[in-house]
Amino acid sequence: MVLLRNSTKAEASEKWEAQLRKGCLELAILASLWEKRLYGLEILRVLEENSNLVLAEGTIYPILGRLKEEGLLQSEWVEADAGHPRKYYWLTATGRQKVISMGHFWNSFAANLNQLLKPVLNGKGK
Amino acid sequence: MLNTACNPMIEDYFSELERKMSDLPAPDRKEFARELRAHVLDRLEQNAAAGADECRAVLKALGTPEEIARQYRVERIMTRSAWRISPLSILRTTLRWSLTGFQGFAVFMVALVGYLVALSFYISALLKPFFPQNVGFRAGEQGFTIAAWPAPHGVAMLDAYFIPICIVVGYLFMLGTTLLIRLLVRRVKSLKQRI
Repeated sequence: MVLLRNSTKAEASEKWEAQLRKGCLELAILASLWEKRLYGLEILRVLEENSNLVLAEGTIYPILGRLKEEGLLQSEWVEADAGHPRKYYWLTATGRQKVISMGHFWNSFAANLNQLLKPVLNGKGK
Repeated sequence: MLNTACNPMIEDYFSELERKMSDLPAPDRKEFARELRAHVLDRLEQNAAAGADECRAVLKALGTPEEIARQYRVERIMTRSAWRISPLSILRTTLRWSLTGFQGFAVFMVALVGYLVALSFYISALLKPFFPQNVGFRAGEQGFTIAAWPAPHGVAMLDAYFIPICIVVGYLFMLGTTLLIRLLVRRVKSLKQRI
């Protein structure tokens, strides 16, 4: 375990950002499906509009697979009128519950942290 | 529809992906590749005149086959219940990581040692009926032993329960190692994401 921690400071901060991004990505994917069923690329477009969460586009597909395996999402291949079939995802009842509770947690978490950061970002104090 | 310069590039990409995922079950792999293919086609259809450059850009945005295959494997290890993941698949995944650097190597060693301990408990349970005097829990001058040749004197501790204890402890070691690896994988994953 100790061996895994010997990163430099720059690495550590990048790691922190990557971890934060990864943690939020799951919530963002679930939230993007709140209104209606979407396929992978549509989810990516929603995420692109609202955030800069995604680094490599392909990596959302394994995450979608996991969320499905966890019972939060359901999926189905749908033939398009023109072109090729697409795999649509939607939230299950469990998934809807989960995204609500994640959303609440996020809100109170972010509010507390913003409060804490106020003096830091206002540049007051020392 | 698609530019002729584009197709070979896409085929190369997907055969590379296929290679990187060759250790995974074929149905899962095919389903996953099909979804990624749909993604690539959609991206290119937005741009009817897609040439080699556009194609390259779409595949680049997708991520390298290696990166995606790794992510896929990691998510799989994280979802499957620990008792449904075979130690062999963990060892295979971590063996690949062990070649990529120091952290990977450390994770692999943890897995290897953990499973070897589990295995040695199972082997002890198997040997007990054949060597009842040699195999048993003993705390003596040599410290704690589980098997000794020549056979020591006296009755070993908890001798009647030796086999069930070994099976339970072996199983717990196996499960514990899998869970520990999963924990470590989460850490390593965040390191890998820096790419």
